[in-house]
Amino acid sequence: MRTKKLAIGIGKAIAVVAILVWSLFPIGFIVMSSLKPGQDIFAVPPKFVFSPTLQHYVQLWNGWGVFFGGLLNSTIITAGATIIAITASTAAGYVYSRYSSRMLNASVMFLIIVRLIPPIVVTLPLFPIINAIGLNDTHIVLMVLYATFFVSLGTVLMRTFIDQIPRELDEAAQIDGAGRMTILRRVIVPLAAPGILAVAVFVVVFAWNEFLFAFIFTGTNAKTAPLVISEMIGSIDGVDWGVLFAASTVQLIPVLLFVIFMNRYLVAGLTAGATKG
Amino acid sequence: MRLNKITEAIPFLAPVQILILSVIVIPSLYVIWLSLNASSFGQSATFVGLDNYIQVLSDPAFLRALGNTVMIVIFAVHLELALGLGMALLFASGLPGRRVLLVAVLAPYAVSEVIAVAMWRFLFDPDVGPVTAMLSWLGLPMLDWSFEPSHALIMIGLLTIWLHLPFTFIILYAARLAIPKDLYEAARIDGATPFDAFKKVTMPLLGPAIVVALLFRYIFAFRIFSEVWLMTQGGPARSTEVVAVYLYQEAFSYNAFGTAAATAWIMVLASLLLATGYVFLLRKQVAGNAH
Repeated sequence: MRTKKLAIGIGKAIAVVAILVWSLFPIGFIVMSSLKPGQDIFAVPPKFVFSPTLQHYVQLWNGWGVFFGGLLNSTIITAGATIIAITASTAAGYVYSRYSSRMLNASVMFLIIVRLIPPIVVTLPLFPIINAIGLNDTHIVLMVLYATFFVSLGTVLMRTFIDQIPRELDEAAQIDGAGRMTILRRVIVPLAAPGILAVAVFVVVFAWNEFLFAFIFTGTNAKTAPLVISEMIGSIDGVDWGVLFAASTVQLIPVLLFVIFMNRYLVAGLTAGATKG
Repeated sequence: MRLNKITEAIPFLAPVQILILSVIVIPSLYVIWLSLNASSFGQSATFVGLDNYIQVLSDPAFLRALGNTVMIVIFAVHLELALGLGMALLFASGLPGRRVLLVAVLAPYAVSEVIAVAMWRFLFDPDVGPVTAMLSWLGLPMLDWSFEPSHALIMIGLLTIWLHLPFTFIILYAARLAIPKDLYEAARIDGATPFDAFKKVTMPLLGPAIVVALLFRYIFAFRIFSEVWLMTQGGPARSTEVVAVYLYQEAFSYNAFGTAAATAWIMVLASLLLATGYVFLLRKQVAGNAH
């Protein structure tokens, strides 16, 4: 009995190590390599002991000003998309939670069906239109696109979270003479904060990392950080791996920390999003 | 609210509905119109009926792209499901430091496709990649992904599993935690072995979550673009294209908007078909469990 338990324990330990290596090795490897001096990056077998240096970051700073512009664009676009998505989803989620009618129920179905449309489909008509109205290569286009592809999930999530807030609170506020907007702002929003954070995690991660729309709709002014990194990969005849790893680390660390700190909301959002919508 | 007060709800619903209508629904419907016309830049459209669909469906490049996409979906999604299920059961069996492990498993969720491709290209680099070195040390063949299309597709499949395993795992793990402990207790008292309990309690109750995870992953894996574009650009010689890359090439490299639009609607219809198929199966399963 004891040996069987031991065997199970060892089996589990091996599985856990395998899972950790699988999940963390590629990330750790990039971060570590970005700090390796010169040729140590290419050492076979990889060096795990080395004297760390910031030389690749200095090279990145000196040679790739466009990357830092990209980071700034990514920050602006992520913030804008998140604000739009949260505001729109909370307002709609409130109505869907508190009121019901046949028309409203039908429109929830519509929100779910919309998620079946692949984003690349809308680039075909939007590309010429956005060019024609002169919005190509601007922040606002990406903000709106990123927000829109998450408001359907966002609304369904917000409805689920707002459903858990007792209606009596709305009614009490109403008796005190509060209007709908006041109830939403003063009662619902503070109590639905976990839902808002769940939506925020989805939108922030998506907007910060997205490639396809940024690739199609931006050129120079609104180019995001992932797009600049893709250009570093694309310089086929000479990928400067050290600089690429440094840029990847700078792009990755903020969003990785964000996901780590918000992991509870991410898990809640994924679970509710998959079962309810 | 009574139905007659629906006007009061409109300002709250308007932002979401306007965004979805103007960015997704109306453009998608317009794509139907595009798909029925032959058009290009600076050229007026002419109505051609279903010609674009016929042209796309008989284009060997499209059929290869479709085949590649289906291969990636079948290989990646099912392997991902098996891994996610295994991990969910392992976590549920009781592990020390579960919270920290959970965060570690979630980490790839934060990684951009662009950076994931950078990682993969280096790790599997034929000359300097550490994974290539490890494979050859183990006496295994290396993945010659820049020349061999099937190797490139395997790389892309692995990459897509790496990026999306957190999602599949969380869905299954949450569903596994939602199964009441009493059921296992009762099964044990009735003399069921752990394997019986797995077969008679865990699997039936995880069924709906498995279907949901599969559905989402089929639909999202079917539209895969960035991983392929950044890894191979569909090359060499269009051999690793997927449907979304084919669509992109038609539209933005060859300016053939008609066939691109037809491809787009083939993608939409495929997603709808998958979704309705699964909703149907799910209903049947739920109804079956009720008896």
